Amino acid sequence: MYQSETVIRNHYNNINDWLDQMTSKVILEKNAEAETHFRNIGITFSTNNETARERIIPFDLIPRIFTYTEWLRLERGVIQRAKALNAFLADIYNQGEIIKANIIPKEIIYKKKSFEPSMFGFSPPRDIYSPIIGIDLVRTGPNDYFVLEDNCRTPSGVSYMLENREIMMRMFPDLFHNNRVTPIDDYPTRLLQTLMSLAPIKCENPEPVCVLLTPGPLNSAYYEHSFLSDQMGIEMVESTDLFVEGKYLYMKTVDGPKRVDVVYRRIDDDFLDPLCFNPQSVIGIPGIMDVYRTGGVNICSAPGAGIADDKAIYIYVPEMIKFYLGEQPILDNVETWNCEKEQELKYVLDNINELVVKEVDGSGGYGMLIGPKSSKSSIDEFKTKLSTNPKGYIAQPLLDLSFSPTLIKNQVEGRRVDLRPFCLIGEQAQLSSGGLTRVAMNEGSFVVNSSQGGGVKDTWVLAE
Amino acid sequence: MLSRTAEYLYWISRYMERAETTARLLDVGYRMSLFPNPSGYNNEWESVLSAAGAIEGYKNKYDTIEQKNVEDYLFFDESNPSSVYNCILNARNNALVVRTSFTPESWLAINKTYQEILNLKEQKFTKSDLPDLTEWTIEQVNLFRGSLSSLLRNDGYNFLFLGLFIERADNSARLLDVKYFVLLPKPQYVGGNIDNMQWSILLRSLSSFRAFRWAYDGNITATKIADFLVLNNNCPRSLSFCIQNIVKHLTNLTCSPEKVARIYNNLKDLNTKIQEEKIETIVEYGLHQFVTQFIRKISSVDNEIHKEFFN
Repeated sequence: MYQSETVIRNHYNNINDWLDQMTSKVILEKNAEAETHFRNIGITFSTNNETARERIIPFDLIPRIFTYTEWLRLERGVIQRAKALNAFLADIYNQGEIIKANIIPKEIIYKKKSFEPSMFGFSPPRDIYSPIIGIDLVRTGPNDYFVLEDNCRTPSGVSYMLENREIMMRMFPDLFHNNRVTPIDDYPTRLLQTLMSLAPIKCENPEPVCVLLTPGPLNSAYYEHSFLSDQMGIEMVESTDLFVEGKYLYMKTVDGPKRVDVVYRRIDDDFLDPLCFNPQSVIGIPGIMDVYRTGGVNICSAPGAGIADDKAIYIYVPEMIKFYLGEQPILDNVETWNCEKEQELKYVLDNINELVVKEVDGSGGYGMLIGPKSSKSSIDEFKTKLSTNPKGYIAQPLLDLSFSPTLIKNQVEGRRVDLRPFCLIGEQAQLSSGGLTRVAMNEGSFVVNSSQGGGVKDTWVLAE
Repeated sequence: MLSRTAEYLYWISRYMERAETTARLLDVGYRMSLFPNPSGYNNEWESVLSAAGAIEGYKNKYDTIEQKNVEDYLFFDESNPSSVYNCILNARNNALVVRTSFTPESWLAINKTYQEILNLKEQKFTKSDLPDLTEWTIEQVNLFRGSLSSLLRNDGYNFLFLGLFIERADNSARLLDVKYFVLLPKPQYVGGNIDNMQWSILLRSLSSFRAFRWAYDGNITATKIADFLVLNNNCPRSLSFCIQNIVKHLTNLTCSPEKVARIYNNLKDLNTKIQEEKIETIVEYGLHQFVTQFIRKISSVDNEIHKEFFN
């Protein structure tokens, strides 16, 4: 919000005035109102203990604001990246041109667990493997946006994006009269159009039947699953509701079996088909992969799409953009050292005090070391881990993430934020006009993950 | 509609209806406890427990029957599957899965109820709070039912109401049965004021006390009450009203006509019988036998609905 110590960035002036005229009593009331609202609509994390209170993510009342021009660049950059990631998947599961061109070594692709050999030689509809991509961005200076990671499997958080806006509009309607905020509530419609545009070849239905496949109520993103299926007007199914007969997938309905054309799955590859992936799995739909490969159904995202958001592959995304699209990357990667390479490993070990070390397969802010903030013993621990299993790690500089004003105990304080906008790719590629802003609520913290004290904010993109 | 969705909708209504019945029973017990307790009557809380089908579970947990424990067992106890708390918890967990199949208002009604009962449970309660708790429960259930009026009149709607009326038929029949046989007073009290008081409490528990007064003139008699609760088509809790509505919502289903026909065939005799029967004949034949048969029939219809639609 601040350009320097005292100067407020222009587009935050309205918000600053608004904050000034709010008393702390009102702030307290509005915070309580938001919490009640989130509990009532059920946007909660479930815990394993059924009777324990479900957790809600802390919501901060102060929106994060992007100007139209700022957003335009992000939009182009994210779409560019999403296209390149899909092109990469189509390539490595078919010709492997990028390997032949010696841009990415084949070992780091074919040896990954997230690479799915059964996808080899198969092309999904429109060659789209990952139709919903969430790209995590951070800002470190006026125009310096970096991509922290890509999420090509089943990125979550879009329900927060939508509900945060909903509650803000409900609590502070005047804000939306005085600021021209681009609406985002058409996201579910666009998502459904995207899914329908990815119907499999054998689909004869002009309006393909889509379903959302959820692992069930114990999953932490369950609210989002039911929210999205509700907004799209499609069935939310569990794997026991589906079965394969002949060359098609059906769901069990009160009318008898009904054919399903597109499965928007929110479960991991391993639990899709026990015949193909994990024979021990009691969940999953036996035979679905066979139907998929013969064009009877489409699975979004495609099995094996996860290889594209692997942290070791991340390093090569700028190269992918040049290779597949012939364009210069609009958004930069964060400088990353690949510990698999001997020289880079040496640099990481020598400078570990300054760096952030991440597990290649880690997520949720776990399994990482923030050098400047860690004790000597945990640094030593990571040094040993790095030396014994260099392949398992990458390292990045500690980025000075931008601060966003956040209400902490009724005082406005700066807290670090990141941003996850959601990109849809089907018949066309488009970006949500906003995204999920996550905020590290603890003072001095760099970790925005909800599992570790992160909160969320409404994210505004101002209209032109 | 998914089979599982249909099943969950059906059970949401059953649980909400059951929560209401349990709350009303607690209210009955509470009212009775305010009256002097003459010898010759069963302990009123015991009758409440049997009517709620919870006597066995209660006795496993407590040695003596005490108001405070009964209240807790029927309202909050997690080990009692029919406690108001569990009914609301189950309804809410089902609603979480099928919230896409009814209106946001219905979800909100259920989820708010759940959030509030968590608070109530944490705060526990004192004796004088019981009327508030039962009133609260009835209000919440009414809020949920009211929210259903804006639903699409599709199969989901019919499954919700099938569940409601199957549960209500079962609950009404059991209450009737409990009054007649467990609560049956010693002969010298029959027709006395206390007996009538108990009858009127039964009517209250079915939220039908005023309605009965409007529907029948003169004295409250056992036969009139039986007629009201078994055969009167205007009484929304009578067995015949429930059956009529089960038939209505069953035959309104647009899915699988052949399944509907199979269930209907099983049901139509009972429906015809209950529409044509005279209360005198039923009483002569034995109300208990009649009610027992009725409960068995409802249970078999419930089984068939599960078998045909939810598997």
